[in-house]
Amino acid sequence: MIDATTSARSIAASVRAGKTRARDVVAGALERIARRNAALNAFTAVLGERALADADSIDRRLAAGDDPGPLAGVPFAAKNLFDVTGLATLAGSKINAGHPPATRDAAAVARLRAAGAVLVGALNMDEYAYGFSTENTHYGPTRNPRDPSRIAGGSSGGSAAAVAGGLVPLTLGTDTNGSIRVPAALCGVFGLKPTFGRVSRAGVVPLAWSFDHVGPFARHVADLASAFDAIAGPDPLDPACSTLPPPRCSGELERGIDGLRLAVAGGHFARLAADEALAAVTRVAAALGARREVSLPEAHRARAAAQVITACEGSAYHLENLRARAADFDPMIRDRLLAAALLPAAAYLRAQRFRAWYRARVAEVFREVDVLLAPTTPWTAPAIGAPWTTRIDGTEVPTRGHLGVFTQPLSFIGLPVISVPLVSAGALPVGVQLIAAPFNEAVLFRVAARLEADGVVGAPVAM
Amino acid sequence: MSEPVRVTDADVERLAAQVGLTIAPESRAAVAQHLAGLLAAVLLLDEFALPEPIEPAPRFDP
Repeated sequence: MIDATTSARSIAASVRAGKTRARDVVAGALERIARRNAALNAFTAVLGERALADADSIDRRLAAGDDPGPLAGVPFAAKNLFDVTGLATLAGSKINAGHPPATRDAAAVARLRAAGAVLVGALNMDEYAYGFSTENTHYGPTRNPRDPSRIAGGSSGGSAAAVAGGLVPLTLGTDTNGSIRVPAALCGVFGLKPTFGRVSRAGVVPLAWSFDHVGPFARHVADLASAFDAIAGPDPLDPACSTLPPPRCSGELERGIDGLRLAVAGGHFARLAADEALAAVTRVAAALGARREVSLPEAHRARAAAQVITACEGSAYHLENLRARAADFDPMIRDRLLAAALLPAAAYLRAQRFRAWYRARVAEVFREVDVLLAPTTPWTAPAIGAPWTTRIDGTEVPTRGHLGVFTQPLSFIGLPVISVPLVSAGALPVGVQLIAAPFNEAVLFRVAARLEADGVVGAPVAM
Repeated sequence: MSEPVRVTDADVERLAAQVGLTIAPESRAAVAQHLAGLLAAVLLLDEFALPEPIEPAPRFDP
């Protein structure tokens, strides 16, 4: 029987074997969305009849002896930053609601559909992806399925909540400074931020051109790998997309971790965090036998540089609307973009120069190490509407902005990262980042699969 | 360690005029606070001595 807990891989196997109709699977997902979304506010659009028509098409192809793809009949949804044919690409904004409907799907959406997956809707997010909380003023906050009084994280909050709540087994999100990994950790699901350039960003509204990434969320490592395999690869429509052929990570899951050099990131990645976030890293490291500690040099400055580059690129992209209709932006975002527009060019170039230096230093670390471990967030999900600042170890930090303290120094240089979830009864979930050298996603899947098989990490549905 | 960066409402108004932005009076204090945060990040970068050959130019491989 297929229900909220069934993996994407099992759904596809059942549909492909003719044991289950894609229509029934998609109808089940639509029923769960109808029943639970009012409480979670993960979806901003549900495609209903269109999704059922797509499912019927999958069923007809199977009946005709065609192969509809490895994800046949798997329901999925995408952050509303992605173009979806026939829908205005909201990007979490009121401004974009007035845009004409997209005339084609974003590349990653199209690739999942080409693999047989069925798009059932679009998902809530922070406006223009510039936030970590999905407390969207226009469309309301997305609620964390593990505790609805708390944020789902952001900016891909709807993508994480929809998977954690069992509404769909797969979603797409984006990550510039942590927007896949932060909500994945806070909602207790797996999230992959691939290497910069590994997955096409064509048809996705940018936040910061030079380090926006597209990636999947799932409750199972195999599902994450299947989604990545479907969406990765060259695309001439994305000028930053690599021409390197992608690996087939689904084939890596049984390889184990023998011979891998594993280490824990110290220094910056072990400070200004709650005990539970650091304890999660210790637990994962112990399970993997990772005893070595390494330091990424000047990671705190890398985070600062990521903030400056994001601010400058983001405000440059939105400058025309900031001049013409600032009042229509989400107040949570507007004042930050306005401030960013006032920075001098020298600040941006300084940050880019630092980035070049830092990337080279981190590359040296990865000559000695295959996978690094670090906390994903410094604490568990804050309450919706939490105070603006929080005190930790005697330091006052922004409650929401500090959620990216451990993710920003990594995406800033395009490294691939999987956030793996530690979910236990009576506690809010935490995440641990598995980090590798550029274009080495395969090794991350080997480690994540081992941790899942050993029961160290996992993402049960939040009922 | 740098001194905290101070940005006033008047600074915001003057800088905004330079880039063609009109910032509502009720937003100026918040914008000033965010700008101070960003300038603190810039200072953190300025304090770090980068080797002279490091530059932001992209690399072209034939």
